[in-house]
Amino acid sequence: MKANRPNTAKPAQPVQALSEPDFKFPSFFAMWRDWIVKSEQQWSENVSKLLKDERAASLIGKQVDEARMMHKMYAEMMQSYLAAANLPSRLDLEWLDERMGRVEDGLAAVQAELVQLRSAVVKAGAASATDAGIVRLPRTRRPSAAKPS
Amino acid sequence: MNDVTVAEARMPNPLAQALWRLGIERDDFAKLTGELGATPKETIYAHGTLKLHHYRPQSDELYRVPVLIVTSLVNQPYILDLSPGQSMVEHLVRQGFDVYLIEWGRPRAEHQHLTLDDYVLDRIPACVARVHDDCGEPDVSIIGYCIGGLLSVMYAALHTDGPLRNLVCMAAPVNSDGLESLKTWMGGHFDEELLLELYGNVPADLVQNALRMLRPFGKLAGAMNLLNNLDKPEFVQSNLRLGKWEADNIPFAAGAFRQMVNDFLRGNKLVQRTWALGGKRVDPSRIRVPFVHLLAEDDHITPYASSRDLVKLVGSKDKQEIIIKGGHVGLVASRGAEKRMWPALSAWLAARST
Repeated sequence: MKANRPNTAKPAQPVQALSEPDFKFPSFFAMWRDWIVKSEQQWSENVSKLLKDERAASLIGKQVDEARMMHKMYAEMMQSYLAAANLPSRLDLEWLDERMGRVEDGLAAVQAELVQLRSAVVKAGAASATDAGIVRLPRTRRPSAAKPS
Repeated sequence: MNDVTVAEARMPNPLAQALWRLGIERDDFAKLTGELGATPKETIYAHGTLKLHHYRPQSDELYRVPVLIVTSLVNQPYILDLSPGQSMVEHLVRQGFDVYLIEWGRPRAEHQHLTLDDYVLDRIPACVARVHDDCGEPDVSIIGYCIGGLLSVMYAALHTDGPLRNLVCMAAPVNSDGLESLKTWMGGHFDEELLLELYGNVPADLVQNALRMLRPFGKLAGAMNLLNNLDKPEFVQSNLRLGKWEADNIPFAAGAFRQMVNDFLRGNKLVQRTWALGGKRVDPSRIRVPFVHLLAEDDHITPYASSRDLVKLVGSKDKQEIIIKGGHVGLVASRGAEKRMWPALSAWLAARST
């Protein structure tokens, strides 16, 4: 029979998702990324200053307008090719998005009608608020003693 | 099949393994962010694309005055209810406020005619009336974020005998002289009619690119910051949530966009008190209810120069401006917001909501 000895074994260490040493040697890439994060505000400010210039803004505006027109023409042109290849075009997806939007709005309207119907039923006395799932809490809450801002 | 094997089976192998090493075990990309806008709610009113949501109370008793949140026209409202623990709405609900939120929805081709007059004179009053019907209280506090703040100011200025009890604005632009970049880009050379003729409403990707151009290297810096924090699962998930929201803009209804360009950006009519909606002049000095403007120090979308005049314009005796560290989005959905902005907001409202 073995003698009862106190358990001197060390408890198991919790398993860590990342078994990494406490000290991490700074990675060159991490330092480079840090430098980008710290410099970003200055870069953005400098580019923004350039973009605020009236002539630059006008030029960029024209380019954007032209690019948009080209994009629209290209999309229309591609539509027939995509249809021939039995593939949906961007316009088809936009149409689907609008249709889904209408369905979503319709469902929201039905839900709102049901909520209003439920309230009307309670107001008419046909069901209690509790039975209809309406929670009426007392509106008696007061701010804590802490000084308001 | 255990979770890791499922993850490996459905996702590109290196990514699944990298995520597993970070302790993020999910079987598809959508689940990485968790559910967005998850605070329990029900839709109590719908009109076209507009939805009025009521959040289920999560406390034993409520403050008497309900809160109506007016969101931006071009951003999804779930930035205010990003995920459990990262949600201004959830904070307010847990603090004992009865919270309602207006979701404007995505305007479609048939909504090109919608103007700011429709939003301010028709839709917000309809929602205020619906809140009254639902909770039975005669007055309401309004919180407006970004363009939603501008709409709220207009509503408050035009409904001075209405049921408004308190007005809170968060990063609301009022002076277009402070929006230098947008004002230059949409100056005299910008042909908004050509754009609207081409697309009907202003496409969401155009709205998104314009906002990104306000901080051209912001996206790159965000990506680098993410790479440097890949060993922090909570940071990664929060970053993915914000990234998803940033890429999910809403088209701008043509009528409202036309007014924003001509009356706001070019005309700067709110500051000059010459802006009229429905034939009535919008004069913020007529606002007399308690007012607070919450601003972010490093806001590149609504810079301080564009928003600082609001507190001066409003005619209330009880008015205040609170400036908090951070940016436009961080103001409402960051760790800083959780520690500084939300408590400041709920403390200010609580004292005026009994």
